[in-house]
Amino acid sequence: MSLFSVLSVSASGMAAQRTRAELLVENIANSETTRTAEGGPYRRKDAIFSSDSVSSAFSSELDAQLNGSVTGVKVAGISVDNSEPERRYMPGHPDADADGYVAMPRVNPAEDMVDLMGASRSYQANVSAMSAVKDMIQHSIDLLR
Amino acid sequence: MLDRVTDSLERYMDLLSARQKIVASNIANADTPGFKTKDLNFQSEFASALSGSQPQASEVAGLPVKNDGNNVSLDREARLLAENALRFNLATSLIKEQIRMVKEAIQEGKSS
Repeated sequence: MSLFSVLSVSASGMAAQRTRAELLVENIANSETTRTAEGGPYRRKDAIFSSDSVSSAFSSELDAQLNGSVTGVKVAGISVDNSEPERRYMPGHPDADADGYVAMPRVNPAEDMVDLMGASRSYQANVSAMSAVKDMIQHSIDLLR
Repeated sequence: MLDRVTDSLERYMDLLSARQKIVASNIANADTPGFKTKDLNFQSEFASALSGSQPQASEVAGLPVKNDGNNVSLDREARLLAENALRFNLATSLIKEQIRMVKEAIQEGKSS
């Protein structure tokens, strides 16, 4: 049991929240994108979180066995929204079909902005945990002074 | 190391770091669907840690569960985070004081 492994738990949380924020920003940036490499309009992406055991670089196998129940978090996958694109009437648009409708991404920027705030707050919570643990390590080191 | 009090303080710090790890993992999993808050029963774990056994984490009952099956309360975890850090500070200060007293005894022995 080492305090240093707590830092990797918080780091895994920060990495996962950053990935989530990246996807949310991508959604907002592409909310009007009608052409993608896969064809059709942009589809909304979201991160799926799952808990995951973390091991720091120096942790032994025994340590992992003893503390296997304590977990970090990882991005298990990225879900792509496969619902029907929104059809908007824009006859002058180069991607409009014969009836003048354009398939637009089904992205709600307000929803993504709120999610982005949540991701940012969760990131901050992980940073606070890390800095509290860092102080504890510092105090242990101060015992030697 | 020095005496029984210091030994107990050492176990106390071990247990506090174990608890801090659990709190950090709860915070990291605050957005993981289906994740359940874990914690140590501090008093009974401290009694068994004095006899040298490993702490066991268990799930916390009675927390409101969100729609995704997750029941991590960030307020609860923030409180525990601060509490553990303060308790750890206290323990290190006490050990430091013990070490200072031993040092002083050595110094006094040298000067006479």
